[in-house]
Amino acid sequence: MRILSLFCINGSDAFQEQLEKIRPKLYRVAFSWSHNAALADDLVQETLIKALKNAGQLRDPALLNGWLFSILANCWRDHFRQHRETEDIDELEDYRCINETTPEDEHAQSQLVLRVWDAVAKLPVRQRQVLTLVDLEELPYIEVAAILAIPIGTVMSRLCRARQALKILLKELAPQQSAQISQLRRII
Amino acid sequence: MTNQNISDELLNSFVDNELESDEASEIFNAIGRDELLKVRVCELRGMKEMVQHAYHQLPAHKISPLKKPARWWPVYMLNMPSLAACMLLLLLGWGAGWLTSESSRSNSDPKLMRLFQAAQNSDIAEESGNIIVHVSNSNPVRLKTALDETENLLESYRRANRQVNVEIIANAGGMDLLRSDVSPFGVRIGLMKDKYPNLEFLACSQTISKLQKKGIIVKLLPHTGVAASAVEEINKRLHQGWDYVRV
Repeated sequence: MRILSLFCINGSDAFQEQLEKIRPKLYRVAFSWSHNAALADDLVQETLIKALKNAGQLRDPALLNGWLFSILANCWRDHFRQHRETEDIDELEDYRCINETTPEDEHAQSQLVLRVWDAVAKLPVRQRQVLTLVDLEELPYIEVAAILAIPIGTVMSRLCRARQALKILLKELAPQQSAQISQLRRII
Repeated sequence: MTNQNISDELLNSFVDNELESDEASEIFNAIGRDELLKVRVCELRGMKEMVQHAYHQLPAHKISPLKKPARWWPVYMLNMPSLAACMLLLLLGWGAGWLTSESSRSNSDPKLMRLFQAAQNSDIAEESGNIIVHVSNSNPVRLKTALDETENLLESYRRANRQVNVEIIANAGGMDLLRSDVSPFGVRIGLMKDKYPNLEFLACSQTISKLQKKGIIVKLLPHTGVAASAVEEINKRLHQGWDYVRV
């Protein structure tokens, strides 16, 4: 291995550095899809390993971002495929169960944040993917279409449905207290 | 352009800056004339900002940075002269492996074998190694490969007089490996355990609880430990600098 690493340590290090820079973005999107810190990290780890493995396929370095998100989307899809094939629901539940009790979840998350997470998590997976790529990464529709390998019209319609559903979900998840407060105000 | 003929899709495109400047100008004009349209745009913008805010701070990821696979893989792809040299070395390695491997190897999972080799090779210069193997899949071929490769790993360290600790942790479907009434590898695991004192088998207690809730009586193989949870154990080991291989 030492001999191998001597050959081209510079190229690999630079590429790895670039990957590390993009890693937080990948993690954010993976988390917004899974709402599970451990699973999101697992997906990102897998994405980076695949990227390293297939580095030669990336012809234009400017397309690195989109290429990585495509790999992430494939990893996410594979996760569900594997999950279905093996009926491996327990594993995901394990992650969720752990995630619920981790200190990260317990500290400093406002009610609003949790409400948005809950609402986004309730969206159908495909709508959730489009919404988060557009809103969180602010990617152009055409790039989202390329990442998810769908027509741009589908991106627009999924995004539209996602936001309509999100609006309703956020209203449903809003605390009942606010209604009582507004009633009181009216009486006063 | 009036409120009625401005679709939600068009407004989304406006909010996401996807429109050409003339189309965007028309929407701006329409917003100036129509209070309801203004409310729709505000709602969309507010929701977008709310989503951005909600994912601004996330739970920190605990797993250690990508290090080991990166060291040995991208090298071949980024530099053509190196590619030729690496290919030559790989061919020599494969040739040697081919001549010495057992016939049972033909059923092994090549991806998994590469992971084990990566874990092994990355620590070759070190005196000791620590590897946690996560088994979450009930596919018997993968389970067998995991045991084969773990055994090869332990054997190669033993031959080199180096210390290696290997922990095989099973959850979800992988629990089949450690259930005495289900596992096809019970005898083999017992023999491995006797032969290699630094090899541990652990079962995830959460998976056990879930199986029990389904009415399944879980009987584990002798000398199998129980971890509070597979994910917790893996995170703990990764923090301690162990290498991680997932089956």
